[in-house]
Formats: sequence, structure tokens, C-alpha cells
Amino acid sequence: MFERRLYHHIDWALIGAVVAICAIGLAMIYSTTGGAGPVYWTQVYALGIGAMALVLCLTFDYRSLADKSLFFYLAMMIALVGVLFFGAVRGGSRRWIDLGSFNLQPSEFAKATLALMLAKMLGEERRAALTNTDLALAVVLTALPFLAIARQPDLGTAVTLLPILLVVAFVAGLPMRYLYTLVLLAVLAAPIAYKFGLRDYQRERISTFLDPAQDPRGAGYQQIQARITVGSGGVWGKGYMQGTQGQLRFLPVAHNDFIFSVLAEEQGLVGVLVALGLYLFVIFRALDAARLAKDRLGAYLVLGVLSSFTFQVVYNITMSAGLAPVKGLTLPLMSYGGSSMIATLAGFGLILNVRMRRFTN
Amino acid sequence: MAIGEDKWRLTTRLNVLRVSVAVAFGLLACGFWFYQVVQHAKFKEMAENNHQRTLTLRAPRGIIFDRTGRLLVENRNSFNISIVREHTKDLDRTIRVLAAVTGVEEKIVREVVDRHRREPSYRPILVVQDATLAQVASVTARRLDFELPDVIVQEVPTRRYPDQEMAAHLIGYVGEASEDQMQSDRVTTGSLVGQFGVERVYNKLLMGEDGAKRVVVNSVGREIRTLEEIPPVQGRRVQLTIDYAMQKAAEDAFRAYGYFGSAVVLDPKTGEVLTLTSLPAFDPNDFATGIDRTTWNALNTDKLRPLQNRAIQGRYQPGSTFKIVVATAALEEGLITPERQIYCPGGGTFYGRFFACHLAGGHGYVDLRHAIEKSCNTYFYTVGNMLGVDKMYKWSEKLGLALKSGIDLPNEQESIVPSTEWKLKRTGERWYPGETISVAIGQGQLTVTPISMAVMMATVANGGTRVVPRLVKAHDEGKGWEPVKVPPSPFAPFLLKPETIAAVHDGLWLAVNGAGTAGRGRVAGRDVAGKTGTAQVISNQGKERARGKTDRDLRDHGWFVFMVPKDNPELAGVVFSEHGEHGYFSATVAKHVIETYFAQKDGLPLPVLPPPVPVAPPVRTVAATGPAGGTH
Repeated sequence: MFERRLYHHIDWALIGAVVAICAIGLAMIYSTTGGAGPVYWTQVYALGIGAMALVLCLTFDYRSLADKSLFFYLAMMIALVGVLFFGAVRGGSRRWIDLGSFNLQPSEFAKATLALMLAKMLGEERRAALTNTDLALAVVLTALPFLAIARQPDLGTAVTLLPILLVVAFVAGLPMRYLYTLVLLAVLAAPIAYKFGLRDYQRERISTFLDPAQDPRGAGYQQIQARITVGSGGVWGKGYMQGTQGQLRFLPVAHNDFIFSVLAEEQGLVGVLVALGLYLFVIFRALDAARLAKDRLGAYLVLGVLSSFTFQVVYNITMSAGLAPVKGLTLPLMSYGGSSMIATLAGFGLILNVRMRRFTN
Repeated sequence: MAIGEDKWRLTTRLNVLRVSVAVAFGLLACGFWFYQVVQHAKFKEMAENNHQRTLTLRAPRGIIFDRTGRLLVENRNSFNISIVREHTKDLDRTIRVLAAVTGVEEKIVREVVDRHRREPSYRPILVVQDATLAQVASVTARRLDFELPDVIVQEVPTRRYPDQEMAAHLIGYVGEASEDQMQSDRVTTGSLVGQFGVERVYNKLLMGEDGAKRVVVNSVGREIRTLEEIPPVQGRRVQLTIDYAMQKAAEDAFRAYGYFGSAVVLDPKTGEVLTLTSLPAFDPNDFATGIDRTTWNALNTDKLRPLQNRAIQGRYQPGSTFKIVVATAALEEGLITPERQIYCPGGGTFYGRFFACHLAGGHGYVDLRHAIEKSCNTYFYTVGNMLGVDKMYKWSEKLGLALKSGIDLPNEQESIVPSTEWKLKRTGERWYPGETISVAIGQGQLTVTPISMAVMMATVANGGTRVVPRLVKAHDEGKGWEPVKVPPSPFAPFLLKPETIAAVHDGLWLAVNGAGTAGRGRVAGRDVAGKTGTAQVISNQGKERARGKTDRDLRDHGWFVFMVPKDNPELAGVVFSEHGEHGYFSATVAKHVIETYFAQKDGLPLPVLPPPVPVAPPVRTVAATGPAGGTH
């Protein structure tokens, strides 16, 4: 359990950066939703619960948590399958468990759980090199929640599980030839997947990304508006709560998927660089935690959690500038979203946990 | 495998990840730099276009008054419903819903939208002009529900003509500016400019200056706040020379008796037009909010030609009224004295052909005064023959009967009085002296407009100053009435000899107050001087042949020209009634107008129109044998 000396090994710099990002996010939500409305307060509560989740994930030794990883994994799968049958429907997909006063999105918690599971499985392996059996098992363990989430359908969140598998397998010694084959296969399969694997609306999103002008009122609208939002911000921005694109709702879901665009509009390139710097600092700091980790289990756990986080950050910010197809992916720590906030902070609890216990036995 | 190697691999691969992340963030920073610094200007403009709109605030046109200050044209507010496609996601749906909500046929809405499809999407497409309050209410309700966010309701000043058809041809109407007018009037698409009558001619005075309002709108087009507002400037108030009561009296009289035609009354001293009417007319209110195609087609194809301004565009034979010109010319040329008597045995033979007078038994010896009074054809055959056609033309032009009057209305037709030169130019043939005889009593190739007839009467009335009729007395930009500057008359002044004036005025007075044909124009105590005339619709022989074979109205047109009072006239004018036969009816109209004028002048109650009197059957005392058959 929690010993007094561990307290001194907590990475306060990382916590400070995370808090700073959350504060920026909260300020942008306040700006785009026009003050302290229900959205703002939900985010404040989520931050509070997230802080508790962080402390909880910090308190127990990550190794004992890893020992129970199979239990967590099964609980997650039950929740994911359960939500398919009993979940609340919003916007055409079943993603939420209705808990009365708020809704829980189990897929958000799948990331950390999968990271824990894969870290446990590959990190406690005696052999140094990754065997094909290990790899196959890891693929299956990832595929199960992936398919369940994709069924909701929520391809965006499902895709965030893939970096966990890739990165953990990569550091666990995935032979480079596999990696090359994977890249080659992806290139070859892309057109086929585009033709047969995607739904119409998904295809439309991709084709309008390549040429937003072909449908400026429809699918290309958000992308064009995102670029206008970002570009019109300039170096210094239009000023806090002075943005026109976000404030006047030319940019949809500004407090959610496009919160970074609004930041760019109101705070300009300066604000963007500050935010990018904070995220980069958080990621590098977490990579340090992986490097410093006492064991492979700890390193893999940190990387698993971090990979999903990093992927989402990079993708969302790219999308915010209109440089990637619009996908319902939030910006972790900044976007409005209770489950996402709680799950992300819990994930950082695990990262802090590993770093904090690097000297313990 | 050694732990060291394992550790080394982990470190290496961690470094790969670290570098990858750094590169990704570097690229992102470059991306933001590119958009926010390099392309900032472009996106800034796009953002502004997104949320800023410049709305035109239409300027109300100037109000028009009559000479007594009575309102003739004003403005009212009407509502236009338009589609702004800029943020439309589903135009089809918008059209469908808008059609259902306003009750306009979907097909029509679609047609309108298709017609403007190529225009920039921020420009509103006007779908319903002058919407009813019910339409406005239901559209506004849908707008608030975000059902029709791309439909806007605009309040625009619109012309209102409270007296509908009254003076329609002279006041005119407004309509959307054509391409040419957008250039000449310097206005933008969709602006209303004058298209007819005073509205057209004085468009520059009447048209105000549109204002503009720059507003911030949100993504569904709702106005959030105003950034800047330039208020519109209303057009100048304009005072016409028209006298409301007289204008109305003339039109009422025509309508009461069921005739069409034209009446023009001038102030002979100044040329100010007191009355100018043309019937049948149209309702300029139909044009105020864009005329619909059915009404427009109906107006254009109507056989009665309601869009024609008969006062300046209708050309008719002057008939006996032309005798005034012949008399004046002969006196001024010194060919006769007023006392010179000519014997009328009921006609006369000129160039081997007999020309009949309308009174078979003849008028006996008549001097000029009585020749005018009784409209003796023989007298004027003789005098006309002495003058010759070119002298008649010369005096027609001097008095203002030939060519254009120069009134400030568009598309005036030239009045035609023949001359030898004119005939040679037109037909290549020389003039036959026999033709002169017909022209002397206002027949033959002689067609004049009512306005030029009125000018001729004014010249005779004022003793030789040919006035240019004009319609605008003053205008006001907001600093009080400014009289309109009258350009000097382009016509050389000349003075008629006093004995000419006395004789002609006497003759005309007798025609009304003596044994003449114009007794119906008599107004007790007012010394009306006037003359009737007949314009043949078809020759008498033709009339006989066509009897019962056509549904065309073959009755002749009737003129009545007048001045009042005889000495120092205050009014000079003309009433022309289509198929009004001999001008008896025209004289009745004139009488009502004259009575109205004096009643108003003396502050008495305006006269009431007497009940219709059946028009006397034509006095035909001579069988139609010559071209002069029916002229009085």
C-alpha cells in the first residue's frame, strides 16, 4: 500500500502539466458554451471524480493491479458486450450505460484496461523476445474489445486501442519484418477496405477530406470551418471569448471535438504552441517514466496507456486544423466529456504509479 | 538473452517513439504556423464573411403631392420573404417547407430559385414580395424554431398610390431596375426605380439613397448585433403642378358616362399642367411590389391599351378644332380681317370638286367670329385655300400643335400637320391643292395628340407665347420647397395681333355661349370659350359599308378645346373622348372640370357631377358625299 516515502517520488511536474492542460480545457469550455452552464459544471465534476480515480490508481501497487488484470479485462468485456444490448442510444449508436444522473462510456475505460492486460501478459513473460504465440494472443486480446466497440458503432474509439497493441508489441520486441509487412499490408489493403470495409458515411468523410470543396455544406463543412477557425486566429488570437467561429457556432461541437480549434482561434499561434508544449512535456515525461520503470511490466503499462493518449492527442489536433478527416475523437484532458476525463486521469494515475514505485521491491 | 540487450532494445525503441512524437508535434506546429501566419489574411476574411453581413436598407422614395399639397403618392412598409442560400444545407427541403408555410406553389418557388441560382449565395433570392401578415407570421415562427434558418423576412418601403388609377399615366410606376437602368441610375440589383411617368422622369429626385447595416450573424443566420449602420436617405418630396380636384373631376366625369379618352388642362401663362388624364388606366399599385405576369400580360394585350398614355401618345384627327389654327393663321398673315364675310351656300367647289358644309342649306354670309361659332366649313375651305398648306403648317408649329410639346414625360409622340415638304419626304409625291381644302377643316393626313392641342389652346389664350407643359412645381430635400428651375422656352416668342386675339376669342366664346355646337361647355358667369371637333374613326362611306358587319365601335371621336375665361384666360385645355361623337360629351367633361376649378378657387363646395345626359344624335343634314361630311 501507500508508504510515506513514495510520496516523495510522485512526479509533480507531470501532475502540474496535466492540471494546466485541464485548466485550459475548462477555460475553453467556459468560453464556447457561454459561461458556467451545465456543460461547464459537468466537466468540473468529471475533473473531481477523475482526480479521485487518479489517486485510486496511484494508491495500489501497479503489480498487484496487474495481477488482477484478467479480472479487470473480463469485467470490461462484460460491460462492452452489455452496452451493446442495454446501452443508451444517442446519435444512432449504443455507447453509454445510463446511470441515472450521468452516463458512463465503458469504451473509454477499455484503453487503460487493455494496456494493463497486455503489459501483464507481455511484461511478465520470461523470454526476452516476443514469440508468435504471444503476439497472436495479444492480437486476440485487442481484437475482442475492438470488435465490441466497433459494433456500437464507434470506430473512432475502437481505433485508439490499436496503438496500445502496436506500441507495447513494438517495445516488447516485435520483429521489424512484421512491422514492415504490416505497413505494406495496410497500404495494399487500404483501397479494398475503403471499398468494402467502410460504411457510406465513413467513405464520404474520407473523400470530402481529400476535397472539402466538393461538399462545402455537408461533410466538408466542418473541415472548412475548422481551417477558417484556426487560420483566422492569427498569431495572437481574437481574445478570450472573442472568437466568432466557435462563439457563433459556425464550428459545430466546439466544446468537444473541436476545442483545440477554438483555442487556436481565441489564443492564436501562441496559445497553440503553449498547449502543444504542455502535451509534449506530458508525453516526454511519461516516456521517462517508462524508461525509468523498475520492470518491463511497468514500462509496458506506461507505454500502453501513453500510446492511446498520444495517438488521440495527435489525431484530434490534426483534425482541429482541418488536416485530417473529421472523426468523433475527443482531445484527452481538454475536450468536454466525463468518461474520457475520468479514464484519462485514471490512466495518468497508472503512469505516476509506475514512476513512483521505481525504487520499491 | 542477456538483460542488458533487453534493456538496450527497450531504450532504443523508446527513443524511436520519442523522436516520432517530437516529429509529429513539430509537423503540427508547422501546420498551425502555416494556417495562422502564412494564410492568416485569407482565413480572416473567410471568417468575417462567415459572420458579417451587409444588409441594404432601402431608402423610401420621395412623397408626391399635388399643387394644393394633397398627397398623391406615399410609401408603406411591405414584407419580402427571401431565401439566403449561404448556410443552406438542404435547399430542396427549404423550398418545400417555405412553399408549404406560405401557401405559394412549390413549382413557382422552385422556378424563382432556379432563375437566381447562379448569383452569389449570400444574395437573398426574393420569393414572396409583399407578403401577407399571415405569411410573415408563419415564416417567422419557423425561423425561430430553426426550421427555416435560411429564410429571411425583410421590411421594405413600398410605393402606395392611394387613389389607385387616378393620374396613373402621369404619375407612372416603379419596377425593378433593368441592366441599363442600373448603370444610368447607379443602383444595384433589386433596386426599384421609376419606370413610367413622373416616377421615371424625376427618378433622380424621388429616389433616395439606400443605407446599409453591417451586422454579426451566427451560424443559423440570426443577427446577433449591429456593427455599423448608415441610415437610408429618403428621396425628395415632389410637388406636382397637377390639381387633385380637377384631375379627379375629369376622371370622374369620364367614368360616370362610360367613355375613354384623355383630358389635358394647362395654365396658359406658365404651361403648368393642372390635369392630365388618359383612360382606360391601370393601377400603379400593381407594379409597386413587382407586377405578376398575368396582370402584365392582360395590360399589354388589352385591345383598349390601358398602358398607352393617350394624352401624349394617342394621335387623332383634330377635326373642326383645327379651324382655330386656320383662323389665327389667316388673320396673322393678313389675308383676311375678322370682319371679312364669306358666303356659305352649303358648300363650295374647289379645284373642280364640291366640298360640302355640314349645314345643307348653308350659313349665308358669315364673318370670322360667326364662322368659328357655327363651325362653317365653307368659310374655312375658302380661307384655307387662300393660306395654302405650308402656311397652315407654319402656324400649327408656331402655336404648338405640330411636333412635340416637350412635356416632361417619356415617349411623347409627334403631332403631324402636313406640309408640301412633309408629303414629298414621306410619299415622294407632290402636294395636290385639293388636299389643302380637307386639311383646312382638320381632316386628311392630320393627326395630333391631346397635349399638343392643349398647348395650341394655351398659345391662343395667352396671345402668342408657346409654353412647354410641365408637371413638377417644386421639390424639397428637407430644407423647404425649392421651385423647379424652368429652362427657358426653346420657342421664339411672338405676339399675336390684338384683333386676332379678340376675334378668335370671341368666336370661341360664341361657339359655347351663342348658337354654336359647344353649348354643353357653358358655365354661367365664367365666359368659357371653346370649340368642338370630330375625329373620324372611319370614312362615312366606310361606315355605311361596315354597318352590322363588325363589332368595332365605329362612332367618331369627339374633341372639345377650351379656354376660360375668354379675356385673360386662366385655363386652356382639351378633352378628347373616344367614340364621343362631335365633342358634346367632351364639353360636358370640360364643364365639370372648369366648375371644379372655380369652385375651388372661390372656396365653394366642389360641384357634383350631373347625371348622365344621353348624347344627342348626330345632326346630319347632308348626305355623306365628301370627306367633310361629319365635321362640325
